[in-house]
Amino acid sequence: MKKEDTVKLVSAEGFEFVVDKKAAMVSQTIRNMLTSPGSFAETQHGEVTFPEISTPILEKICQYFYWSLQFASGKETEFHIEPEITLELMMAANYLHT
Amino acid sequence: MEKGKGLVDLCIEAATACSENVDIWRRQRRTLERLPFQLANDLFRRLHRRRLLSPSILEIFQFSVNEVDLRGESCVDAEWMVYLSAFRYLHSLNIADCKNVNNFALWHLSGHSSLNELDLSRCSKITDAGIKHLLSIATLEKLCVSETGLTADGVLSLSSFVNLRVLDLGGIPVTDTALSSLQALTQLEHLDLWGSEISNVGAATFEKFPMLSILNIAWTKVTRMPILSIACLNMSNCTIHSIVDGDNTATATLSKLIVTGAAFIDADQVFPILQLGCLKFLDISCSNIGSFNFLVNLRNLEHLNLRYSQITDGLMEQVASAGEKLRYLNLSNTKITSHALSVLVGCVPNLENISLSHTLVDDTSLAYISMTSSLRLVDLSHTRIRGFVYSGRENSDKMLSLSALQNLSNLRSLNLEDTKVMDEALQPLSLLTELECLYLKSDFLTEISLHAIPSLQKLRFLGFRGAVLTDYGLLSYRPPPLLCVFDLRGCWLLSVKAISSFCKKYQQVQVRHAHVNNPFEDEIVSYGSSASSITTKVPLPRPRRVKSSNTSFVDERVKYSTEELLQLENSTGFSCMLKDLDLLPEILRKK
Repeated sequence: MKKEDTVKLVSAEGFEFVVDKKAAMVSQTIRNMLTSPGSFAETQHGEVTFPEISTPILEKICQYFYWSLQFASGKETEFHIEPEITLELMMAANYLHT
Repeated sequence: MEKGKGLVDLCIEAATACSENVDIWRRQRRTLERLPFQLANDLFRRLHRRRLLSPSILEIFQFSVNEVDLRGESCVDAEWMVYLSAFRYLHSLNIADCKNVNNFALWHLSGHSSLNELDLSRCSKITDAGIKHLLSIATLEKLCVSETGLTADGVLSLSSFVNLRVLDLGGIPVTDTALSSLQALTQLEHLDLWGSEISNVGAATFEKFPMLSILNIAWTKVTRMPILSIACLNMSNCTIHSIVDGDNTATATLSKLIVTGAAFIDADQVFPILQLGCLKFLDISCSNIGSFNFLVNLRNLEHLNLRYSQITDGLMEQVASAGEKLRYLNLSNTKITSHALSVLVGCVPNLENISLSHTLVDDTSLAYISMTSSLRLVDLSHTRIRGFVYSGRENSDKMLSLSALQNLSNLRSLNLEDTKVMDEALQPLSLLTELECLYLKSDFLTEISLHAIPSLQKLRFLGFRGAVLTDYGLLSYRPPPLLCVFDLRGCWLLSVKAISSFCKKYQQVQVRHAHVNNPFEDEIVSYGSSASSITTKVPLPRPRRVKSSNTSFVDERVKYSTEELLQLENSTGFSCMLKDLDLLPEILRKK
């Protein structure tokens, strides 16, 4: 996979998730960061840090990105969310506009 | 997300899937406190819809929810109010129709520091004493207390809510004196006084509200149109005399006027005097206006309701002259014929919605209707439409008249209930591929019609009532993919078994039939089927003698004895109302 096609998402604890750019673009917030002209440092390095999002939540969000792409292409499976993380995930999703 | 659901929705769904799930996340207090208002409100709403709310659950939202809507919930009582009043940032509280909210329950709200909007409509246990508890809420800007147990004395005390912008006192016996005490409410923009006891004397007080823009004085004894610079005036069911004096140019600001059921003395003099250049919305249904010359000056009119009015073919010229911007036109229950529509051709380029229900129009009208290509909703129910015209001299050539409708590329909803159409006449309907709602009801229809319209792939609502439909006909029918509601009421041939197997096969379709036990909501029933129901802002046209009820809505038919009903039928103003009783629940709800 070429580096330009991926983006690195960093959690509050410093864990790094490398995901397809296409997948990360599911989030409107990340899309804006990556596509807005110039100024954002994120655009250049292809790396976004989320000091507010913990590792397990960010992992779940990455899973959602891929699930969402699959869903859009017609593979209609269920996306399971454990009740323990619903609130945290909800807030992160709200922030990321997914 | 373009397709599928967003992650936020999925989370809310997972969180409210069952009470076990709720028990798992409800302990995460700190997270709950951090929830943004919008998320917390969504979560709260969903919990309510899934009936998972209870006083102990309420507690966990006390820092994150700022909008609460518990309309019609009979479980809401003093205990609930204890928790709700602890919501620190509560901005809006709607407990309309909560019949167990009493004066004591309101006591808990006293002194709340952020409450902005409070709706207590139809909480009949609330009286003057209850309102006293609220006086300490200085932040209140919107208060709805219509049809509560409030009296004129209680209204006097409302004058201390100096920040009020919206005040709904509908159905409360407000007197002229009580009204004049409200002069202190200088911020008032919206005042609802339908069914009150105010008269022309009290009407003079309206001038003291500098910000007033919406005024409802339906069902009152006010006989003179108040000359005010307001945007919206409702004087339904009043007796209106001609204007004696005053600055007539003041009404130039009026954009919405509702005088349904009003009895005009000298109607022909009232309207020409008024300056109504800005008027966009005019409802003169059921009124006794006999001359429509004033319409010529209403260049900005978008919504015109002439239901049950005295309009005739000869007077349509005037309607046409105001047709430039018209988007909604209701001519139902009038004496017009197809000729009236020929007058409209070319004069109503923006018309989207036309109702001709219960008129004398016949098939020749379809050709005229089809010339207004902007039409989206056409109601032809209870008319003389047969579906074909004879073109030859000797009645030799039968032409299917409904085929004219294919020119209406924007048509989304078509109502042909209780017309004389038969199976063969419905053939052209298969050309209306954009149609989303189709209403058919006739004893002459058979399953042939049902199978003739498979090309309508965008249908969401299909009414096929009272038709000769067999079990086999139903089971061999494949509903279009988007169909939500399939109305089969009155299809008496269908068996329980056939219907239940159809329901099982197409679970996304809600079937309506006597054999299906889930009672459907009234609001969907009248969706689009009757254009008149769109006038939602109409105040509750209900007689004063009916005591305010404590339930959300009691069928008017239940309230009267048979003798009373018969009496009412004979009295003119009322006969028209009774026919439309079916619409009432919706109007009431949307109010």
